[in-house]
Amino acid sequence: MVCPTAKTTRRIIVLILLACWELLPRLGVIPSLFLPPLTLTAAALFSEFSVYWQHLLVTLQEVGAALFFACGGGILCGMLLGSSTRLRRLLLPVVSSAYAIPLVVLYPLFTAWFGIGMQSKVVFASVYGFLPTLLGAAAGIQTIDRSLMMTARSMGASPVQQIRYVLLPATMPTVLSSLRIGGALVIVGVVVSEMLTSTAGIGFLISRYRTMLDSPRVFAAILLVLMLAILFDLLVQFAERRFTGWKKNVPAKTFP
Amino acid sequence: MTTMTTVSARGTVQVENLTQIHRSGERTTHALDNISFTIPAGKFVSVVGPSGCGKSSLLMLLVGLAQSTSGELRVAGRPVAGPDPARIGVVFQEANLFPWLTARKNVEFPLMIRNMSVKERETKARDALELVGLDEFGDRYPHELSGGMRQRVSIARGIVQDPDVLMMDEPFAALDEQTRMVMGDELLRIWERTGKTVVFVTHSLTEAIYLSDHVLVLSARPGRIIDRIDIDLPRPRTFELTSSAEFIQIRNRIWEQIRTA
Amino acid sequence: MALFAIPDWVVRSALVVGFLAVWELGSRTGMVDPRLLPAASTVIGTALSLLETAAFRAHLWTTIAQTMAAFIIAVPVGAILGLLIAERPYASEVLKPLVFFVFSIPKSIFLPMFILAFGIGFGQKVAFGVFSAIFIMMMTAFAAVESVKREHLMVARAMGASFIQTLRSVYAPSMAPVLLEAVRLAMIFNFTGILLAEMYASRSGVGNQMGLWGQNFMIDRLLAGILIVSVLAILFNEVVRALETRLEHWR
Repeated sequence: MVCPTAKTTRRIIVLILLACWELLPRLGVIPSLFLPPLTLTAAALFSEFSVYWQHLLVTLQEVGAALFFACGGGILCGMLLGSSTRLRRLLLPVVSSAYAIPLVVLYPLFTAWFGIGMQSKVVFASVYGFLPTLLGAAAGIQTIDRSLMMTARSMGASPVQQIRYVLLPATMPTVLSSLRIGGALVIVGVVVSEMLTSTAGIGFLISRYRTMLDSPRVFAAILLVLMLAILFDLLVQFAERRFTGWKKNVPAKTFP
Repeated sequence: MTTMTTVSARGTVQVENLTQIHRSGERTTHALDNISFTIPAGKFVSVVGPSGCGKSSLLMLLVGLAQSTSGELRVAGRPVAGPDPARIGVVFQEANLFPWLTARKNVEFPLMIRNMSVKERETKARDALELVGLDEFGDRYPHELSGGMRQRVSIARGIVQDPDVLMMDEPFAALDEQTRMVMGDELLRIWERTGKTVVFVTHSLTEAIYLSDHVLVLSARPGRIIDRIDIDLPRPRTFELTSSAEFIQIRNRIWEQIRTA
Repeated sequence: MALFAIPDWVVRSALVVGFLAVWELGSRTGMVDPRLLPAASTVIGTALSLLETAAFRAHLWTTIAQTMAAFIIAVPVGAILGLLIAERPYASEVLKPLVFFVFSIPKSIFLPMFILAFGIGFGQKVAFGVFSAIFIMMMTAFAAVESVKREHLMVARAMGASFIQTLRSVYAPSMAPVLLEAVRLAMIFNFTGILLAEMYASRSGVGNQMGLWGQNFMIDRLLAGILIVSVLAILFNEVVRALETRLEHWR
């Protein structure tokens, strides 16, 4: 038997899945309450676009702020941890244990502390994205070849030049891959916390439409979040290709 | 032992009573003990010795990446206070190329550090790459080059500022046997064309004898110079030479010294 | 310099004790509002008395039962699916990118669909737990197959090992540590998924209780709940990690 190329088969599978999404609920195989047909979902997205857009802006603000804390803090602490053997040996086991804690249970605490506005979402998403970013950065910084610094020194590079021309480009892949890990988690963190308790944001819309049993609109909101996550990932990937194209293989690891 | 005379020629390397003691915490290591030698300008000199004898420590001192405990070190009559790539080029065991820069940009790196104009940088880098036979590979990234090619780029980077001395720390140790032979011949060709002084640290006796005018033999730690052998074999040297009676005799002599050192 | 001579576990314990001490003192001296952050000793006391109440134990049991049910389904199903795909070159080429894509998209946001489909009972929690954990299981099963070295298989074949012998002496030791890692990660994802589902819409379970305590500002209970959940998660994690280290001693 001659098999079509993997890519073709994959496309066929995706097309079949999309067709099922449309046809199964239409034919009544799956109740459309669970899976609204593709066309209805798309229609909901377009007809309600201004509402979605307004709430998306809130979500984006929260994501931006949380990204700053989670990735900024995570990358900085990760690099600190990764570059000191003693610190690494001391704290890495603690950090890995802490990674096992289901952080979701912290959210009720944050709403009690910071209210149900944007603040509690930003704090929760920052905490949610922090540890994996830190672990990623700590692992990445260890892969940097220290002899490159010595080489630069042997060519008379000043400390500032060593940082600018060697340390910065060498840490770039680590920074970007940490951003990729952290960014995905921050988006989930923000949307999930909005779903739980809030007054605005895409997650809020998801929950509101859910209580109204309006599943096309729920699904449309979910799709919007997916697009946001994928768009973010594509952006970082673009940056990775642009700035770290010199690497043999850009790591695609999304979990620690 | 050589007696010190003040030679002012560019490319002369003078080492006088050099001693180095490393201290890390409670432990002290006596790496080099009272080393003195002079290398006349334009000569090719190898340093050999048993493993861990301080060959590499000596080279780190010679290129200004480490400080000696006592003693003096002068290149062209001027003391070496720190890295000075315009006078002293360095090639390490690993090519140590910056993976995010192309071969050409790697060669330009030491020029960029000194804020040289882009145009001048490009000219010099092109000349250096041509000298090592890689003028067509300037736009490749290090991971796209073979081990031998990477080391050629590293040599080009070492000589791009036209230094008087080229210091090499086991530059071919990471290469396979055949590439190693080819690179040896390449190095001799470059050396003959540029007339630089070369200090070549290696653990391969064959390589040392094949390439050099003089071979310095270091003892086990603390490193002392136990012999200085003049290699009077005719140049240009060929592979057949390595199996000549004279070559083997020199190699046996050095091996005997290292074994009992 | 002196700090460097102290053994790691001492420094680590000191860090934990220091953290608790700062917490306790901060709350007791009123540096932080004790209504917002009750003292560490209060929280530990609350946790212990919670564990003694039958009602809370029932909620805890619900959560554990749901977690275990989802775990028992997700781990073997994910592992077998993953191994089946990774074993076949064509299937890997077609399906791995799809699985990777589904793995990398956030799954928590599908929670409302599970409620619309399954209601808010036991089945819905388990289904969502399976959904949260199964993809990491498949991804790691792929990695497990890749961890079997072709050279080792060749050596085994050259020595005339039978299929069963190869399975036992090459596949199992190579894949076991990776699969254990998968089990550990699957549990983290699964437990998080169940707790989230309970917090989002439920009538029982620890997550549901914590959501209620949060809304009613019962911060001492909330912190006690966080403590209990964290201890449970860390305990399971450390047990599996200890197993991993034992199986990985040859690496």
